[in-house]
Amino acid sequence: MVFWRVAVVGSLLMTLPVQAHEVAGKFGGRVTDAGKYHVEMVAKDKTLDVYVLDNSEKPLPATGFKGIAILVVNGKPARITLAPADAQKLTGTAEVALGAAPKGAVQLTAPDGTTASGKFN
Amino acid sequence: MFSHITAVLRALAVTLALLAGPAYAHEGHDHGAPPPPVSKTIAPRGEAASAAFELVAVPKDGTLILYLDRFETDEPVHGATLTIETPTGSANATAATDGSYQLPAPWLSKPGQYDLMVTVSVGSDADVLPLTLTIPDLAASNAPVQVGTAQTISATLSQAVPVVTQGIRERLARQDPVLLTVSAGSFLLGILVVLVARGRRRVPVIAVLVVTATVLLSASAFAHGDEDHGRPESKAALIPPNSPGATATTDLAQRLPDGSVFVPKPTQRLLELRTVMTAAGSYRRTIGLPGRIIANPNASGVVQSSVGGRLSPPPSGIFPRLGTPVKKSDVLAYVTPPVQRVDVSDMRQRQGELDQQIAIVQRRVERYQKLTVSGAVAQVQLEEALDELRGLRDRRSALDKLRAEPEALVAPVSGVIAEASAVAGQMANPGQMVFQIVDPKSLWVEALSFDALGSAENATARLADGRTLQLTYQGAGLADRNQAIPVQFAIAGDTSGLRVGQFVTVLAGTDTELQGLALPRAAVVRTGNGQDVVYEHTTAERFEARQVRVEPLDGNRVLIAAGVGAGKRVVTQGAELLDQVR
Repeated sequence: MVFWRVAVVGSLLMTLPVQAHEVAGKFGGRVTDAGKYHVEMVAKDKTLDVYVLDNSEKPLPATGFKGIAILVVNGKPARITLAPADAQKLTGTAEVALGAAPKGAVQLTAPDGTTASGKFN
Repeated sequence: MFSHITAVLRALAVTLALLAGPAYAHEGHDHGAPPPPVSKTIAPRGEAASAAFELVAVPKDGTLILYLDRFETDEPVHGATLTIETPTGSANATAATDGSYQLPAPWLSKPGQYDLMVTVSVGSDADVLPLTLTIPDLAASNAPVQVGTAQTISATLSQAVPVVTQGIRERLARQDPVLLTVSAGSFLLGILVVLVARGRRRVPVIAVLVVTATVLLSASAFAHGDEDHGRPESKAALIPPNSPGATATTDLAQRLPDGSVFVPKPTQRLLELRTVMTAAGSYRRTIGLPGRIIANPNASGVVQSSVGGRLSPPPSGIFPRLGTPVKKSDVLAYVTPPVQRVDVSDMRQRQGELDQQIAIVQRRVERYQKLTVSGAVAQVQLEEALDELRGLRDRRSALDKLRAEPEALVAPVSGVIAEASAVAGQMANPGQMVFQIVDPKSLWVEALSFDALGSAENATARLADGRTLQLTYQGAGLADRNQAIPVQFAIAGDTSGLRVGQFVTVLAGTDTELQGLALPRAAVVRTGNGQDVVYEHTTAERFEARQVRVEPLDGNRVLIAAGVGAGKRVVTQGAELLDQVR
């Protein structure tokens, strides 16, 4: 009996975080995977904020990270260099206004020199 | 009651577990190790795909070669601009003559993992494709680190077992005294130990231990003979991965152990592989009917002579020949009816009679004209004589005209002369066809159908050279012709190059609707065991055979009833060649 109860509770727990992950990120952006990290991208007018998260969606300190984002805006690629703005996020500015949910990819360089990239569709 | 609750809980648990499963499989969510290399004999490569493009990057001699194709069709994309974010900054790849894009990449000589971002823009399409490239450590490739532990053990076993068994076989064959002694000793030792351990509870365990020890001892004893075991077996099954110089030469299309086919991009381009995205739909089954092209009955005509007679050309002096365009009511020829010999004498007799009568009446008229002045003859008599003279002259002239006037053959419709049998001076029989006129812009097709066609509005005709014609249903006969019904269609659109009487295959839709995926017939390949398969393009350079159930649809396409779902890329061109890859 105990086993089946545990199974029920476990299944419920398994479903919940995944659904939260699918909808949106904590900072109001979209989350995708980049190698061993998760990244959340928040586009607002010309500013792009990228949060680095770990596998369990906990924010990681952004210091030491570098990044490039290439987003397709109105059918043209826009290259945005990302640099740590504060302890939490990397920020970059584009030359054109980014839409609410631009397509593209983000490439991160971790403090240890490894790279990771994530794609936003 | 309790058991019911338990059952419900179990069911709920299973359902939730099932729900939880697919939720993890969201886009790109792979935290595990990157997929293992497709084969040890294939150079390292990276690939990326988006909704529009598919990109493969292969490092070769310090150059990064990029292959860009359309995602859905696998068609190479030419004239694109590829900007690559490399560790040394962003750079543009240049297009090579073979359709690939190349980028000098000296940084690739260092082993490691490289994350590249490739920005593709071609025409109005732009896309960003992140790409991961892992360059293996060439120095470490010879060390056994690359091979997994389990693989090593199995390889060792597979090499050791044959050696041991072959040793035994050789010794048995030679009745080796060492072998006999060792086996007899082991046997005796076993019996001894079993006897000692008898009566205790742990007999089976001890027995197993003893037997194992015996076998191991005897095996080691075998291995210590001084015989030559032959040269150590080569490890040919595993080509050393990425041995220097091997990367460039080993990139060959091959069938992988899991049954999928690896085809590198250059080979895909050589074979001109093309894919199509499957989409489910409902299709009308079509049937093929034998047919031939006929002239439109309302836009064609024949020119026949109503009387027998001698043909003579029209006023232009030449008969219209084959292919001459003619207009309605043009005179195409004259027929002069011959006058028979009997008729000639008859006519001459009648002519003479008439001439005689005309002369008599003429004289009478002249006399009456003189006498009417004096009133000896009444005016009425003169007028009667004049009327008679006029009538006689008419008859005489009609007799002349009848002998000379031919019948004009006129074109009943406008068109082109399709058949002409007129030769000057030829005698035409009454009712004989002298010309046939066809309007080449308005042709029909007559097909023979064994079934009554319900709604054949979407019919097409296929010519022997593969051209297809759109047809409009005109009507079907009810009278049986060779156990079939003639069905007539008008050809819609261009009719140039067609001729009357040409055979065509009419593909007419039937009422039965079928559900499934329509694919070109060339996409389905029959394998050696007689099963129908299609090749699905799973990743950029991998194709997997999928068994399918095929139903006939029409001349060019088949219907995949089961085996492949919608939204898959299926090879439609070159599938036969793909099937030959071993």
